Amino acid sequence: MNRNTTQFLTLVRREILRFVRRPYNTFLPPIITNTLYFAVFGVILGSRIGEIAGVSYLQFVLPGLVVLGAISDSFENASFTIFHGRWNDYIQAVLTSPMSNRSMVTAYVSASALRGIVTSLLIVGVGLVFTPVPVANPLYLVAFLLIITTLFGGLGVIGGLWATDFDYLTVMNQFILRPLVFFGAVFYSLEVLPPLWRNVSLLNPMVYMVNGVRYGMIGVTEIDPNTSLAVLTGVTAVVLAIDFLLFKRGYGLAE
Amino acid sequence: MTAPAIETRELRKNYGDVRALSGLDLTVDRGEFFGLLGPNGAGKTTFINTLVGLVHKDSGTAEVFGFDVEDDYREARDRIGLAPQEFNVDRFFPIIEVLEHKAGYHGIDSEEARRRAEDALKTVGIWEKRDTRFNWLSGGMKRRFVLARALVSDPDLLILDEPTAGVDVQLRHDLWDIINRMNDEGTTILLTTHYIEEAERLCDRVAIMDSGRKVEVAAPDELMARGTDTIDLGLADPPRTAPRLDVEGVTEVAVTDGGLSVTAAGGSQTAPALMRELERTGHTVTSLDIRRASLEEVFVDLTRDDREYAEVSA
Repeated sequence: MNRNTTQFLTLVRREILRFVRRPYNTFLPPIITNTLYFAVFGVILGSRIGEIAGVSYLQFVLPGLVVLGAISDSFENASFTIFHGRWNDYIQAVLTSPMSNRSMVTAYVSASALRGIVTSLLIVGVGLVFTPVPVANPLYLVAFLLIITTLFGGLGVIGGLWATDFDYLTVMNQFILRPLVFFGAVFYSLEVLPPLWRNVSLLNPMVYMVNGVRYGMIGVTEIDPNTSLAVLTGVTAVVLAIDFLLFKRGYGLAE
Repeated sequence: MTAPAIETRELRKNYGDVRALSGLDLTVDRGEFFGLLGPNGAGKTTFINTLVGLVHKDSGTAEVFGFDVEDDYREARDRIGLAPQEFNVDRFFPIIEVLEHKAGYHGIDSEEARRRAEDALKTVGIWEKRDTRFNWLSGGMKRRFVLARALVSDPDLLILDEPTAGVDVQLRHDLWDIINRMNDEGTTILLTTHYIEEAERLCDRVAIMDSGRKVEVAAPDELMARGTDTIDLGLADPPRTAPRLDVEGVTEVAVTDGGLSVTAAGGSQTAPALMRELERTGHTVTSLDIRRASLEEVFVDLTRDDREYAEVSA
């Protein structure tokens, strides 16, 4: 194994160990939260709603909940690890090493994306307790999950560099990401909205993510999945380029 | 030609209106034990952080073993082991894993990283604490650990920023032994310290910094030779007022209980002429004691002079 690979894998391993060894902080909360979602929205309310797009309400909301968990955790992982490392200065052990800036960013984003994917699988596991989980288009499902978690891992890096206090992390996750996802057609179909709000919803990037994963799982979408995938890939590339640039300039990292 | 361990030219860094480095020129040779002395705010830590990439310079050049610290940052950083003044340690993992990670960031494979982590912990004497997290170490152990982390990548240049700040005498001597051994094995050492005795005892050369620039650089002995020594003379018939002594090098004469206290540059060279002059003027010298200027006194003189110069210039 060459030196660059060793450097990269060491940081990825460190990042994975950090979240794997603290399951009460990382994996238990999405399991509990999603059990509650399924119980309340799926079983209690869902039985009164009936089918949407030819599937049960539980199966309809499951992809949205997967997206919510995946992006929250991939974003939270990257933003927390960068910010906490800055707050306590231990990120300097990485910064003063001979790792390339790109390698550092790629390691932080990869580990964060992995955490988002693990969370997705846990949510699917919880969903299986309540309903059969279809996988209509597995390649699209994998592609969307990979690109979504990478995108939010990349955004988390920017958030972690920008934050100057823990409050910033809360603001980004609770007041920006969650509302966008909740209004991103997680719990309802765009078809039920009046035309004006339907068009407004299309400005919300989460709609494309939720629809993409929904297409991968139940084969139903209101937006062309290839277009969504292409746009999300482009946005992810831009975000990663910004990450690289910020690390190179030492934004939030060097004086 | 072999590049020096550190070479900076016209290195400048400002924080707003504050000049942290104002045109620093400094060369540290390979294998040297080099001390950096200076009052708080002299720019020592800014200089160190510039070398490792935690501070981006405004202008000038800085090279480590011939590698520019910004253009060739990977090569430069690969050669540096840093033990910073502040504890910047990953608190999520047991300390042996923190060392393994640090070695891994330097491209050392996991098996070798484990071996080096074990060696480093044994070297600094905290092997039995290997599974403890940093937070639970005592103050002295924390200081030892930071040194272990700097050693784990087997650096060519070991930078120690106040390594013995706040540690007890025994630990200070232990750390000195480790650092000296590293230097004997060929590692270049850059040491900043407030303990002048530490610089006097360990360093081949010291640079005195103030207001972001180098005031002086020389071997500790050379610097001390430039200071003013004190010559205490016992006289059979002590005068009531200080006599005027026409001897080269004498800067001040004061009357003491049993004689005179003479301040002079190069005390041992001045003493014979001083005694002859006193005997010529009718005094009988009964005892003589020369107290050499300490590096601390020279340090205080130089930094005071520099401040006065800066104030006048401003």
